[in-house]
Amino acid sequence: MAKDIEISVSQGRFLIETLKQKVRLDGRRFDQMRDVDIELGKDRGDVMVTMGKTRVHCRISCEIAQPYEDRPFEGLFVISTETSPMAGPQFENGNNTGEDEVLCSRIIEKAVRRSGALDVEGLCIVAGSKCWAVRADVHFLNCDGGFIDASCIAVMTGLLHFKKPDVTVSGERVTVHPPEEREPVPLGVLHTPICVTFSFFNPEDTEENIKGESNNEISLIDATLSEELLRDGTLTITLNKNREVVQVSKAGGLPMDALTLMDCCHKAYNIVERLTDQVQRVIKEDEQTRNQYAAILSSENARES
Amino acid sequence: MSEPLEVRPVSFPAEILARIAPDLSIQRHLWLGLRPCLRSFTEFRDVSISEGGISRPLRSVTGATENDILGSNVLKSGSTIVITSITGGMVEETQPATGFDEGEQELRQMSLASDRLAKYGAVYPVVEVERGRLGAPTDEEMILSQRIHDNIISSGIIPKESLKVPVGVRSRNEDGTSEIFYSGDETGGADTRNFNLKRQWSFVLYAKIQVFSRDGPLFEMCWNSLMYALQRTLLPCAFVDERTTDLKIPVRVRGRSATIRETYDIQCDPTEFKPLKLNLGNISYGSNFGVIDLDPEAQVRQTDNEMEVDSPTSVLIADLQGEAEETSIKSTLSILTDGNGKLKHLSFVGGGAKIDTDAIRKSLSLSRERALDLKSRKEAT
Amino acid sequence: MADLTDFEAKFQVLTQVDGSARFESFGTSVLCSVTGPIEPKARQELPTQLALEIVVRPSKGVPTTREKLLEDKLRGVLTPVLVRYLYPRQLCQICFQILESGENEQFHSVRELSSCINAAFLALADAGVGLQNCFASCCAAVISNADQDVLINPSAEQLRNASSTHVLAFDSENGREPDSHLLLLESSGDFEEETLNKILDAGEKACLQTVQRLRQALKTKVEQDLVWRT
Repeated sequence: MAKDIEISVSQGRFLIETLKQKVRLDGRRFDQMRDVDIELGKDRGDVMVTMGKTRVHCRISCEIAQPYEDRPFEGLFVISTETSPMAGPQFENGNNTGEDEVLCSRIIEKAVRRSGALDVEGLCIVAGSKCWAVRADVHFLNCDGGFIDASCIAVMTGLLHFKKPDVTVSGERVTVHPPEEREPVPLGVLHTPICVTFSFFNPEDTEENIKGESNNEISLIDATLSEELLRDGTLTITLNKNREVVQVSKAGGLPMDALTLMDCCHKAYNIVERLTDQVQRVIKEDEQTRNQYAAILSSENARES
Repeated sequence: MSEPLEVRPVSFPAEILARIAPDLSIQRHLWLGLRPCLRSFTEFRDVSISEGGISRPLRSVTGATENDILGSNVLKSGSTIVITSITGGMVEETQPATGFDEGEQELRQMSLASDRLAKYGAVYPVVEVERGRLGAPTDEEMILSQRIHDNIISSGIIPKESLKVPVGVRSRNEDGTSEIFYSGDETGGADTRNFNLKRQWSFVLYAKIQVFSRDGPLFEMCWNSLMYALQRTLLPCAFVDERTTDLKIPVRVRGRSATIRETYDIQCDPTEFKPLKLNLGNISYGSNFGVIDLDPEAQVRQTDNEMEVDSPTSVLIADLQGEAEETSIKSTLSILTDGNGKLKHLSFVGGGAKIDTDAIRKSLSLSRERALDLKSRKEAT
Repeated sequence: MADLTDFEAKFQVLTQVDGSARFESFGTSVLCSVTGPIEPKARQELPTQLALEIVVRPSKGVPTTREKLLEDKLRGVLTPVLVRYLYPRQLCQICFQILESGENEQFHSVRELSSCINAAFLALADAGVGLQNCFASCCAAVISNADQDVLINPSAEQLRNASSTHVLAFDSENGREPDSHLLLLESSGDFEEETLNKILDAGEKACLQTVQRLRQALKTKVEQDLVWRT
């Protein structure tokens, strides 16, 4: 049964008390994200992201489909985030109607798909009749908080890593070349949005509507599961390396000081910059191991880059 | 204080025992050398079939043309009735771009030829087990449908070639009457040179398999019914209008974005049908078996002296029937064979009794006989 | 030649479930999690036995009837090997996430099925759910040539050319012969009785070998577990 997991009162009090003393249970600073480990699989577009104990697997795949009638020049892009009891007993198989699940998939959808991270026009093969349908399947394997942040990294790494088969088009006829025949082509990724989630705690019993100097509210980056269970409010900021805010999502909960938002954005930007570099480094390293003979076999002239 | 309690052995009539302790009831029957349905261990139920009764192509002669069923079958076995009706749809095939690189094309041909299963088409079955209520398909129905689908492909019954739509051209004569010409048609020899269709369509077949009065495992019955129905399936011919055969792709501009829409309007001929060509050698028929251990405790002792000691420890039961047999017999074997020694599918689930090679051999030979019997019924009709 | 029953196993990859294992073998990778015994929903509850909830999730796309069929076959294997009377009115959730299929998912599921069975054994042992016996599975393909060669654990490429494909599962206490018991045989394609016998022989050998290897993997895990360190 998909039961809501609960944290015991004593455990909860202890956690809040430690937060008041500016200590987190795992020893991190309040504005410190867990180390992100990105692992690429053998197939293209197969990514495993580990953040502490949280683990998310993402698989990108594509097939030929018909575009929407009102958007004949655009390909299709779907992100599917379905939960299973594997991630924890609080999740039910195939039931994504829970509030948290819906919110999580909406935020990922907005961060990646609606922000235009993937160039969907580049997926068009024959206008109005054939296009690539790219899908990203996010599998939540282990839940210890921070699903949104981890999924976003996984999807973006997957899109950067994935390559679709090359096609030849002549009129209406389309040939899809298998990878052993022609080198597949990468997807057009326009920018790399990264999500950073803040959790807010109000250690006082009463809610402060006017945030004065004596504000005791605590904000944490990248909460673990037990911190997520106790938090009073949450904010997800999606940014890219170009210092563009892609999305700010604050769905209810503890009201926050408007100026804190700017502060959060600044903190998030540093994290985003570091993570984007990490993603790109991982992709580049993988490319090198896959193509270790390319330098010898290629007949390209050396170019200035 | 209380009256002395008198404990009497309770005895149940056979039908009540079968309800409350199906496993015990079945054991008692087996010790008597019978099954609850009073068949012997390896006796199959009789099957009666009627074919094509509701399909449109076969009824069009009599003028009944109100449905879209291309092939059908009704199979009765025991109290169970399986009704299969085959319908179809058309999809456009993706045509490979040609004339680029000969080597590349050759490579593709080779890789296609080596993929055995890619050459065969499928039927998309939907099994409905009627229970007197509506709702989403149950797990059992989904599993049955998927099993049938997988086996249609893996046995290679329908070559993709035979699902291609034979496309004709409808041309309008001067006097206003229209005529349809098909390629390879003797009468329209002169017109066939106009066939320069750039596109190709193929049929997608659906099979709706309805089961009434479920009484035991269903996969084999559904499969057999589908096999009969497929062999009597006729596919319609289709045509496009003459003027569309050499039509350029029109572009309709709506605002800033251009919508490219094809005006190929393909229609099915209501009277012209051709039989679906199957790989008849790959047609197979199914039978199921169960293996159950005899429980010496359940033995009904008829006489005081012990029964023979060398009685078998497990028995092979053919054509399971009824809830008692279905739930008590945990080791089941399902076989699809064409009767000539070729096997198409074998599925053994060993939840109960251990199966030995003898039992496998015996069930294989029984299923071959059964398949030959089922096949002959098809020829008889 | 590489040993075809070779695999790589990892335990306790997940923390929110009672037992988990990742089974990887020649391009097929499966993650299995076991939660149980836990309280079941009313409609799942069995008065005298442990109820099973089996979930298979594909690596690409949403679960379809293909996964339902896999779940059904897995249920056929797992039901008899679990000691179900030990946990009446309780539920065991067994989830499989296919990470890499290692075969053409459109036509085949033999590699996925046999890897799932092996992963389930390791995860159930990790979770400490009572098992009647050890069990293991392998898949096989028959190449359409004159000799009808049997290949154990064929690759995706070999499956494409196979005239028939098979999945076998056996249980055995320690991987030595006389005590093994056929749990599952799923064959499809085009084959004969003689081929079937060859497959049963070859498959049994491979499964017994896998049982030994799985036991070895479990032994290594137990030795490394904190509890046993001195």
